[in-house]
Amino acid sequence: MVENGLMTAGGSAPRLPARARRSARRFAEIVCPPEMTAHHRTDRVLGELELMLAALAPEARKALTITMVVLDQAARLSRRSRGRRFSQLDDQAAEAYIRSVLASRKVPAEFVRRLKSLVVMCYYELPPVQREIGYHPAPYIAAVTRRRLESYGPEIRAGEAAVTARDDSGVVREGTGP
Amino acid sequence: MSIRAGLSTQADVTGDLNLECGVVIVGSGAGGATVAAELAEAGVDVVVLEEGGYHATESFRPETGRALRTLYRDGGGGATIGRPSVLFAEGRCVGGSTVVNGGMSWRTPAGVLERWAKQDGVLEISEAEMEPFFARFEARNSVGTQDPETIGRNSQLLKAGADAKGWAIVPNRRNQLHCAGTSNCSNGCPTGAKRSMALTSVPRALAFGARVIADCRVDQVTRTGCTVTGVTGYVVRPGGVRGPRVVVRARAVIVAGGALETPALLLRSGLRSRSNQLGRNLSLHPNANVVGFFDFDVTGWQGVHQAFQIREFLADGIMMSAQNLTPSMLAGVMPGYGRGLGELMADYNRVVTAGPLIEDTGTGRIRNLPGLGTQVFYRVTERDAARVVRGVELTAEALFAAGARRIVLPFNGAPVVRDPGDLRRLLASPVPRHSLELYSIHLMGTARMSEDPRRGVVDSFGAFHGVRGLFVSDASVFPGPIGINPMETVIALAMRNARRLVEQRGRYDLLCG
Repeated sequence: MVENGLMTAGGSAPRLPARARRSARRFAEIVCPPEMTAHHRTDRVLGELELMLAALAPEARKALTITMVVLDQAARLSRRSRGRRFSQLDDQAAEAYIRSVLASRKVPAEFVRRLKSLVVMCYYELPPVQREIGYHPAPYIAAVTRRRLESYGPEIRAGEAAVTARDDSGVVREGTGP
Repeated sequence: MSIRAGLSTQADVTGDLNLECGVVIVGSGAGGATVAAELAEAGVDVVVLEEGGYHATESFRPETGRALRTLYRDGGGGATIGRPSVLFAEGRCVGGSTVVNGGMSWRTPAGVLERWAKQDGVLEISEAEMEPFFARFEARNSVGTQDPETIGRNSQLLKAGADAKGWAIVPNRRNQLHCAGTSNCSNGCPTGAKRSMALTSVPRALAFGARVIADCRVDQVTRTGCTVTGVTGYVVRPGGVRGPRVVVRARAVIVAGGALETPALLLRSGLRSRSNQLGRNLSLHPNANVVGFFDFDVTGWQGVHQAFQIREFLADGIMMSAQNLTPSMLAGVMPGYGRGLGELMADYNRVVTAGPLIEDTGTGRIRNLPGLGTQVFYRVTERDAARVVRGVELTAEALFAAGARRIVLPFNGAPVVRDPGDLRRLLASPVPRHSLELYSIHLMGTARMSEDPRRGVVDSFGAFHGVRGLFVSDASVFPGPIGINPMETVIALAMRNARRLVEQRGRYDLLCG
């Protein structure tokens, strides 16, 4: 489903190119808590990531997609990787590689940090993950919404009705000042 | 089918649109919607073009990702070019940023108005002259403090910390009609208590005959010589696809797209300012998040967003408040990854997120770059960086005073601090400027006002110097930062400038009913 010019949560977004997706998957496995893999949530995180990328400005989307590809290939230059891409590294080597990249002060590392923020945001956007950490706002919102209407109903209705009432001060209509 | 009389969305538009009106307004946020309602009530034939979609209150849910994708420009993922880069977010929907802000409603500080009058030569801007407009907005949009039962524990803890330090802390003033305290402001208020423009000035404008077209991006302001003739744009179809062309002929054009898109549109349209200030002079009130962990449940998502503001250090350009972040937003700003991140986030219900807002002294610039679109350049000055660090230190002190057991600071690579001594030791060494993790939701100043065309882009009432019939009505017109939440200033200026336009209706051949 698409809505008002942008993708919504319930829909599908353009899939990442295969090389970028491969890197994003491995990246998510390293930067998200281990429960992501244990509970088979990686595909949902990638789906959420693709939706978010689709909403970004085109140049930001392109920069992050390139970051994924470069992150994958640049691992070959790392001594511990022995010529393998990031997506081919075992857990220990992949974690060490990401740790060194995130700690770097170089400008490309800022893109990787931005990507990390986005990926972990996508993980914590999943409802089961939110429930696990005690965030379940819907019942609370329903309760306080009810309380609001019960406590202040007439005042709320009067305030809402005043929105479209004509202003008798003539401040703008006559241009005479408030 | 129209959602309500006068409001159309992309689904209503099947072919090219050619419209005529008295005034066309680009943008439906605080500045655009306010001026639309004022002019429509005065009988002016108004058309409002809004790039974002229309979203009813019933559609607002506690789903951050969905909100970012549908209510914000570019998924809320803006970032300045500079080190450190400052992340920023703006609303893009009917109602603009007022749909996703916290609703903080504060009058422009008297000192700021005085500075604008003296340094920038802005006319009729004294506290007394602005007072009626502030009062009118506050009455119409239910500005006031929170009902006590809606104040959450995170706000109470920040207040306890400030009280323990002996600092001035004030109840926040917000445009809310008995806010329920859902802490869902940034995803859109699910009860309609927050009196955003989508629920106030937009329906008011519609009731007085304005036409509002959502999902419509304006790409050019058109003119003949030095007189504007209208705007051109296109309907935005689902997925961002370019739809039918929209041409609006109007006797006046009011640009209210925010401090980023307003200069971008004007520059794209070939307009230049003699002051050379169009797109320059950007201020953005950098903010930082300080996350305090407590030994007990805080459940910060139960209660209003920002019930208080610490104003003890306002004269130093530092204001502080607590704001709950949803899990995904908090995870996005947390240090660490993997198992470590999971351990921090497991204590989600035990955190208070607070932080400073800085009145910045540095400025940035908006530029349209070929192939890269609109880009924001901004340099955090040494002075502002020092203010951020000081603001972070003060926030952390308040959280420790309230009982926090450990604190995560917004400095990349900084260790978690566990007591005030830890904090002092860490801050004994300079914090590298590039390590600051900053964000902004207050962009201002890129079409600054001044009576002097050599100094300002627009005059004291938002009229673009040297171009007849062109006005700006948003935070772009601020000559500089104001150090507090800007919404009420934008709205009061929009009311004041609308009155001036009605007074001068003959000059622009505007018919008033």
